[in-house]
Amino acid sequence: MEDFQVVGQVVGGKFGDIVIRQKSGTNIEIGDLMVSEENGSFLILQVFALEYGSQIQDRMQQMMSGVNMEQGIVDANFYEPEFVNYVLARIKPLARVYKERGEVKIPKSLPSFFNKLRLISQDDLKFLQKEKDSIFVGHIRSGSKVIKEAEVWLPAEDVFSHHVLIPATTGRGKSNLVKTILWHVLDTNKVGALVLDAHDEYFGRTGIGLKDHPRSRENLVYYTPANPPVGANRMTINLQSVRPEHFEGIVDFSDAQFQAIRMAYRQHRKNWIRELMLTDAVQAGMESSSPSKSDFTAATMMVVQRKLRLLLSLEKDEEGVVYSRHEVFDSTTKGLTTVDDIVRDIESGKVVVLDTSRLGDEAELIVGNIIASKLLQKYKDAKASGEIDRKPVATIVIEEAPRVIGEDVLTSKNDNIYATIAKEGRKFKVGLTAITQLSSVIPRTILANMNTKIILGNEMKQEREAIIASASQDLSEDDKNIASLDKGEAIITSIFVPFAMPIKVPLFEDIVREKTKTESAGKTKVF
Amino acid sequence: MKFAHLSDIHLGFQKNESLQKIEQQVFEDAMQKCISSGVDFILIPGDMFHVNIPEMRVQKYAFSMFRRVYDAGIPVYVVYGSHDFSPVANSVIDLLAEVGYIIKVTKATSNEDGSITLDFMTDSKTGAKIAGLSGLKVGKDLEWYQNLNRSNLESESGFKIFLFHGGISEMKTESGMDGDHMALSLLPKGFAYYAGGHMHKFNHQKFADYGHVVYPGTPFAGYHADLEENAKGQKRGFVLVEFEDTVKSVDFVELKNTQYEIIEVDANNRKVESVNLELNEKTKDIDASNKIIIIKVAGELTSGKTADVNISEIRDMLSNSGSLAVNISKNQLKSKEYSITEAKGANKDEVETNVFAENIGQLKFEQINLIGESGVKLAKKLLRELGQEQLINEKKNEYIPRIRNNALGILGVDTDDSQ
Repeated sequence: MEDFQVVGQVVGGKFGDIVIRQKSGTNIEIGDLMVSEENGSFLILQVFALEYGSQIQDRMQQMMSGVNMEQGIVDANFYEPEFVNYVLARIKPLARVYKERGEVKIPKSLPSFFNKLRLISQDDLKFLQKEKDSIFVGHIRSGSKVIKEAEVWLPAEDVFSHHVLIPATTGRGKSNLVKTILWHVLDTNKVGALVLDAHDEYFGRTGIGLKDHPRSRENLVYYTPANPPVGANRMTINLQSVRPEHFEGIVDFSDAQFQAIRMAYRQHRKNWIRELMLTDAVQAGMESSSPSKSDFTAATMMVVQRKLRLLLSLEKDEEGVVYSRHEVFDSTTKGLTTVDDIVRDIESGKVVVLDTSRLGDEAELIVGNIIASKLLQKYKDAKASGEIDRKPVATIVIEEAPRVIGEDVLTSKNDNIYATIAKEGRKFKVGLTAITQLSSVIPRTILANMNTKIILGNEMKQEREAIIASASQDLSEDDKNIASLDKGEAIITSIFVPFAMPIKVPLFEDIVREKTKTESAGKTKVF
Repeated sequence: MKFAHLSDIHLGFQKNESLQKIEQQVFEDAMQKCISSGVDFILIPGDMFHVNIPEMRVQKYAFSMFRRVYDAGIPVYVVYGSHDFSPVANSVIDLLAEVGYIIKVTKATSNEDGSITLDFMTDSKTGAKIAGLSGLKVGKDLEWYQNLNRSNLESESGFKIFLFHGGISEMKTESGMDGDHMALSLLPKGFAYYAGGHMHKFNHQKFADYGHVVYPGTPFAGYHADLEENAKGQKRGFVLVEFEDTVKSVDFVELKNTQYEIIEVDANNRKVESVNLELNEKTKDIDASNKIIIIKVAGELTSGKTADVNISEIRDMLSNSGSLAVNISKNQLKSKEYSITEAKGANKDEVETNVFAENIGQLKFEQINLIGESGVKLAKKLLRELGQEQLINEKKNEYIPRIRNNALGILGVDTDDSQ
């Protein structure tokens, strides 16, 4: 008699598509993880398809059904039904675990023929130990069963510097996942993050959020344009921080328009936007022969002014001071060091959340661009001076990533900073955490560079195919599995995990609730 | 109605006698101008003194000046700054407050739940309501602001002033400014005037919910870098504010201090000889009399040691030609030839060993014990010895020779010969 509960037995198939017969009375689900014990090691296998099997020919079964339904004869059953009719599951090997060494390897052989299988248990997953400076993403999931004791932690530095892709459609739990990841990033100063929060949903201005982390005061920095809550910063960026190249690959300027912009920058340096906005376009165009003016036309000038005005929400008041309606950009003396402050915070391993909900799409990307450019430059400098080892890995969290790394953007415009980071950031410990509904429009070269993908449910076949084609593990049989992922269920495929791991991401609210605050009220007498 | 706002006076900072005179003179000018312009009260949000207990000379003239202001019937409202704070109310500020020359505005109570309640004090003549919190070093006061009960402060009616000592992130003008800044949102909202201290340059800005946020800056100098800024034309002074129910005007009143001369040399990618040549060239004809001379050498030398940049002779020359003081800044001077490579280690001891091991190869000495592994050991021993602190009850004139003799002993130098 076995000392474990058998759920099935290997009866045929081939490598990557093994057929097992389900033991009667058990219930095997798609996605279930099973274990096949071998000598000194065990195989972890996963169910990817289920079908019926029977010892009785199809025609016979169909006739039985006819007798049952048409002739109304009650109690017409098969003799020993659990023996003659059964379920066949198709499974694939995920990993071979060597018990003594605790090593996990990619399996290269079949389980022994006729070997009996059991469902995975927490003891089989002891190799998933939390290592130093890692981030929690969820619990191992076997089908729809969550193994709470088996936590999945990813090595933070490796994962973030090699880029993370979170493909998911709306409502599959991506904000919950991002919040869960950032929550654990806040635990230490080993990862710096810039979060462009287009929906102002991560900080928790009105409900539970990252602000509730016990270390949020030290490690979380929140910038918002309006009415900042106590301790938060006003997001004001001085227009002096904006340079012409920040528009590249983001805004559609014609060559002539870009020329006008560059000319303004050459003439006025840091104050170029203010001066450009205050220039009388008609006069500037009329005086094109004047050496102090550029040779672009009044029309070009007006288009540039209009585009900048719309893009950055710029207005000028009666005293000729340029300001932005949403107060994010300033042309006077405010926000002169915001970009440097943010970069410094990221360099010291903090999570910087920018509430970009008031900004238009392009303005949000420009703000991110200004900061990301400076950040990458600083990390490049650190690499050149041999100081990169002392810096924490930095990641830039960006939603709707195809806006900046989509195929159409990258082919029609120059590379922007996000594409540059996706391509070469890894060398400098700067990575992207890209969230997208549309993986298929991201070029394969960039997708392949995203070495960790946390795949949430996706009902679009084309998107699933793009993800599967670029996964770090073979997911060719997982198309249906991905389509059927419920809210909060995910599959991690990464060069830093031994096999594509099915996980369940816990509810962020539950994580926050579990973490009890143990703050001591400091006794202060003299103020 | 009118009030004056000064901050970061740093009385007692200057060590040079000529500069001490200027420091005192500027302070007296400021107080005199406050009296003559008929202000109703004066605000000083911190760092009035450079340390909590300055030397007697400084205390003497501070007392005499505040006595004069007191006699003129002008109340002075203050909070501690990061320099003159004392956790046990053991600062010259407390002495001045005790005799009634100045008034500490912080009326805070620490509640059981860790929150802090702050009350107003009312200026009897104008009815202005004043509240404030002191500044602590390296932003430790952040916790106070985070735990501050805001509702009573924000709902109070009338003309309200908040005194604080600390940098505001939104008002930083230079990235290089030191890190301990806080978000404006930590200050309670709805005050008519926020009297700031800690930032050494005049800065006046308005924000939604935060009427006027003002730093008058230091009236002379509280850091060595301030003198350099002065030499580059930074205006120093204090702020005069006219108000009724709201602030009517905020005017910067300039205080002249002295004349300056600044000599800057870019040493980047140059040899030490060429830097010395430029220094000599630039200093030989300057009129140094009654001026503060700032010499700044920055950059990375291609060869030679930073110590070979010969400034001492120039300093002597300038001192002899009547300069008030010669300030030399070589902090940003490095040398490619002798740059220190940093190294990692699991603990302090390992870091020290690795840094020495990493760098000792640059040195060329005939004595074998100064290089290689024995050199590293020697350097560590020496570092440990030089890191010894003064013993309790040990006098300075005992401490210095003790350390020197021990250090020379480690180096194997015969102390008799060195004397």
